[in-house]
Amino acid sequence: MKIIRTNPFTINRVSGLDEWFRHPLAGLPTLSSFINNLGEVFPGVAGDKLAVDVHEDKDSYFASFEVPGVKKEDFKIELNNGVLTVAAERREKDGEKESSYSLTRSVSVPEGVNAEAIVAKLEDGILTVTLPKQERSKPRSITLS
Amino acid sequence: MNTTCSPRTCTPATSGVTESLRKPLYNVNGNAEAYELRVELPGVPKSNVKLDLEENILTVRGERSTTVPEGMKALHRELSPLSYLLRLRLNAPVSEEQMTAKLEDGVLTLRLPLKEVAKPRQIPVL
Repeated sequence: MKIIRTNPFTINRVSGLDEWFRHPLAGLPTLSSFINNLGEVFPGVAGDKLAVDVHEDKDSYFASFEVPGVKKEDFKIELNNGVLTVAAERREKDGEKESSYSLTRSVSVPEGVNAEAIVAKLEDGILTVTLPKQERSKPRSITLS
Repeated sequence: MNTTCSPRTCTPATSGVTESLRKPLYNVNGNAEAYELRVELPGVPKSNVKLDLEENILTVRGERSTTVPEGMKALHRELSPLSYLLRLRLNAPVSEEQMTAKLEDGVLTLRLPLKEVAKPRQIPVL
């Protein structure tokens, strides 16, 4: 007898483009997107989309994606036109049955990120992409002629 | 035989989840020799996983590591910081000393070998 249950994990978690926070000084649109996002706190639990956290410190932005069961070699991370896209392929093996499905998520990246210096790290099923900020142009004094 | 999580094979304890914990996604497979349980525990380091088998109740706890180091500001949050708790009632005797557990890429894989008495037997017709 063979009972095959639909694997709840095989649903494609694909979502559209998400507004990412701009720099705090960028103005009001940021605020409204924040309010919109408040309505969907922790949707990752529902399981239909690749959840992301975004943090900032004085040197960098950090985007953390929840990707349990995805191997390091099965990621494709891309920055294109100011949009960071993470694509992850998850492979599962249940006895003789093998299945795979892909998850993607895109976030728009604030201006002033040093694209060359972006790095990603995978740890305990969390992918963290570090986006270093560009050095601000240093203040210079202008002499009166 | 491929067994999955029918009410007979594993029953989540009714009072297992409290306010500050959540139930992780999990999957159960099995054959005549063993059950294989896979639990999604993203964000939980190996040292934060606690396993316990008491009577026939298997408890898996996973504590998430702090995701926000000091000096960092959250701009957008979707990941839940809550820790995981999963309690399953096993309907077959499991050989505790042969249990194995592996945590890889945020997925915990538990192999629960059945005791001899629980394995199916061929009965010859004389």
